[in-house]
Amino acid sequence: MQTKDEILEQIKASLTELFELDPARITLAARLNEDLEIDSIDAVDLLDGLRRQTGRKISAEDFRSVRTVGDLVEAIYRLVQA
Amino acid sequence: MEKRQTYFWRIFASGVCFSLFGLGGLILGVLVFPVTLLLPGGPTRRRARMRGLVQRALRLFVRVMNGVRVISYEFHGSERLGRPGQLIVANHPTLVDVVFIVAFTPAPCCVVKAALFRNPFTRGVVRAAGYISNSPTDEMIHGAVAALHSGDSLVMFPEGTRTRPGQPLQFARGTASIAVHAADVLTPVYVRCEPLLLPKFVPWYRVPPRRPHYTFEVGDDIDLAAYRGLPPPKASRLLNDWLLRHFAARLGVAGGYNGGSGD
Repeated sequence: MQTKDEILEQIKASLTELFELDPARITLAARLNEDLEIDSIDAVDLLDGLRRQTGRKISAEDFRSVRTVGDLVEAIYRLVQA
Repeated sequence: MEKRQTYFWRIFASGVCFSLFGLGGLILGVLVFPVTLLLPGGPTRRRARMRGLVQRALRLFVRVMNGVRVISYEFHGSERLGRPGQLIVANHPTLVDVVFIVAFTPAPCCVVKAALFRNPFTRGVVRAAGYISNSPTDEMIHGAVAALHSGDSLVMFPEGTRTRPGQPLQFARGTASIAVHAADVLTPVYVRCEPLLLPKFVPWYRVPPRRPHYTFEVGDDIDLAAYRGLPPPKASRLLNDWLLRHFAARLGVAGGYNGGSGD
């Protein structure tokens, strides 16, 4: 079972690889859209990447309320718990 | 300047064309489509048949608009449209651009405004033909990628909505993203209309002073090799910027700030 820290590391890895972001900018409080400039098109690529990594069926519905990196960690944590 | 008579004829004929379009949509969606359901073949065959019907109906509609002198047009290079896995991108100056492009492409799939799935005149047809709604974003992208992978050709308008007259061109990035993910071939179509018929914010009866002339020109395929190895977010940004500059240069207009997702 993954801890939230492990999930955060995984997200950091995805974000740096996909978006060439500086890992230092990826904090729990960072807002995906405003701070990291990840828009709804990027979100599709991000979720596809997470689907491949976790091997889970992640539906976009589970992420409608995600605003920050922290929200994303929580959403994935809930999914892997389920 | 043409005679007043001719001008009023064009207003009248435009109204007739509008009604004809709505009526045609209703007849195809409500009457013809249920009949095609009774013919043999699975969902894929049925959809292909419907797309073929839509294409022929729109080809006829284009001929009628030309015949009643509402517009005139020329279409160059249509033989290069309709290849498997081909993404066709066009600029969108007027209301009926998609009508021409679908009319001249063998049975394409098409990304259309979500509102067409609610409009009673178009709803039946866009559903039966398996067209893709432009919203929500994730479903649009997955639907478009699946269509291209299955060998469909797909028509998209990266502006998302008609060009705002006098404003610089803007492309939403969804089209570029779909291209880098799934297009085997990316082909531009440059659309010009002079004077503009039915641009944004103009009601149908405000017809231009002269009969509008449309020119559709199918451009050379765009080489996607440079974008293939990059992470998709970067590749789609680069391709979107390139496409915007390319279309702006071809059309001789200003290319503005590229909107992100078009939300």
